[in-house]
Amino acid sequence: MVSIRDLSFSYKRKTVFKGLDLNLQPGHIYGLLGRNGTGKSTLLRNIAGFLFPRSGRIDALGFDPRRRQPAFLQQVFLLPEDFYLPPIPISRWIEHTASFYPLFNIDQFYKYTTGFDIPMQGSMQEMSYGQQKKLLISFALAVNSPLLLMDEPTNGLDILSKSQFRKIIAGAVDEKKCILISTHQVKDLENLIDRILVIEEGRILFDQTIDAIAQRLSFTLSFDPEDTARAFYSESSLKGNALVLPNTEGEDSRPDLEMLYKAIILEGEKVNRHFQEPPPAVRP
Amino acid sequence: MLVASHWAEHRKRYLLSLLAVGGLMAVWYGFLVLIDHFGPINLFIQYATYYCGLFLVGCFYASTIFSELGSKSRAIQYLSLPASHLEKLLCGILFGVVFFFIAFTIVFYMVDIPMVSLANRIIASEKQHWPNSFLPIGSVGVLNIWNNGWAPIIDRKYHFFLFAYFAIQSAFLLGSVYFARWSFIKTVVSLVAFWVIFILYVQKGIAEHLPDGWHGHDLVRWSNNTENGALASLVVLPGIMERIFIFLMQYSIPPIFWIITYFRLKEKEV
Repeated sequence: MVSIRDLSFSYKRKTVFKGLDLNLQPGHIYGLLGRNGTGKSTLLRNIAGFLFPRSGRIDALGFDPRRRQPAFLQQVFLLPEDFYLPPIPISRWIEHTASFYPLFNIDQFYKYTTGFDIPMQGSMQEMSYGQQKKLLISFALAVNSPLLLMDEPTNGLDILSKSQFRKIIAGAVDEKKCILISTHQVKDLENLIDRILVIEEGRILFDQTIDAIAQRLSFTLSFDPEDTARAFYSESSLKGNALVLPNTEGEDSRPDLEMLYKAIILEGEKVNRHFQEPPPAVRP
Repeated sequence: MLVASHWAEHRKRYLLSLLAVGGLMAVWYGFLVLIDHFGPINLFIQYATYYCGLFLVGCFYASTIFSELGSKSRAIQYLSLPASHLEKLLCGILFGVVFFFIAFTIVFYMVDIPMVSLANRIIASEKQHWPNSFLPIGSVGVLNIWNNGWAPIIDRKYHFFLFAYFAIQSAFLLGSVYFARWSFIKTVVSLVAFWVIFILYVQKGIAEHLPDGWHGHDLVRWSNNTENGALASLVVLPGIMERIFIFLMQYSIPPIFWIITYFRLKEKEV
């Protein structure tokens, strides 16, 4: 669906990507994690065609994004972190914007706005930031574009809305769609994403499915100093040391995304090396 | 679809702006009627009001046509709309050039006709004469922008100001894509700088390449004067070349700027 080869990008003198490779497949919800300023939003805007690579190639749904052809724009929707909604009533905005997207489903839109409890009367400018964001999320999902790019979608959402967001996104994906969510609030993506991408120093440092992570890593609490010594990452807490360990027992462990992220950022090479090793034998 | 979407999003602003333009014109004409009892709102005043308004408002409006591109959030929303760059440019030209020109001209006449009629009634009721004479002040006609008998010769012959307006406005349209912020002011500065360079080139650059004693009258005539100032020889480009030159000046500038705007829009990154 999206193939990025040897992507290099820079803002004037600041290099953001150098030789970045990435493949995105349909039927997945990807979580794009990374520190501030590592280029998460820049990557999304390169895929959507709002920024142009300095070298390398991006193929999204068979299109060259930088050409921004209407057929491409109908199939890719970018939900930016900072967005703009015109100061007009929702109904008028929907009437004039939805017609650009052939797969837009008005029933779905109303279902999502009802789920998010968005007031549908009045001008969009009168809505709070969180309500505007939920409205745009509802629109983005109702567009039914095969590729949906979301930049920090949970910023500005309250706790209930975040939970609703996870529920709606999980229900919106199917085998033809690919959703890429960029965030630094990893907790918000728990139980939602099925593949994790970590971006660091201009390249994809880590790219694994949640299933593979659950199979290869163990997230546990332990007071055992031996466990702590062999952990990729440890963090002390009242209940013991929270550890990210190599999963040698072959038992699936529920990944803690925040711990995983810290382990990758601090011990990325070690973690990757572990994933390259043969998996442990599965217990009968 | 794009035109309907643009109208739905901006109609309130456009209608209020036109109302404000009409109001300002009415205030201006009202002021003239109050201070001048000797033929206020004559044809030249109408002519100057029309073109000053057209240049100022039209260029300012053109500089806002692609103002979405000045802010990252608005630019993403604008560029992500599934329409081609050409369609987006044509929509901008339709609103910024065609619709604006029609709307401004309608608003001008909606204010001009009643105000001229009011001025004529005042002249008729006061039975005024021109100062130091017994000649009565005649009624004033309504300006016909297509038949500008009162205009300076260059405009009477070539509709100079009308073509200049479309040329300059197209530069402001390009400026609205080129400059992310303060596009009106930056375009003004760029045009002034360009004009200064052009004048210097015509006055100095071309003159340096002419033989001794020769100087240029305009872009198609050069002459050599004798020592006592009499005309010794005159070189004039063929009439067809002059006509082609004038035709290009009249009609080619806006399309050139629109084409540049198109490529600039295509290459816009946010």
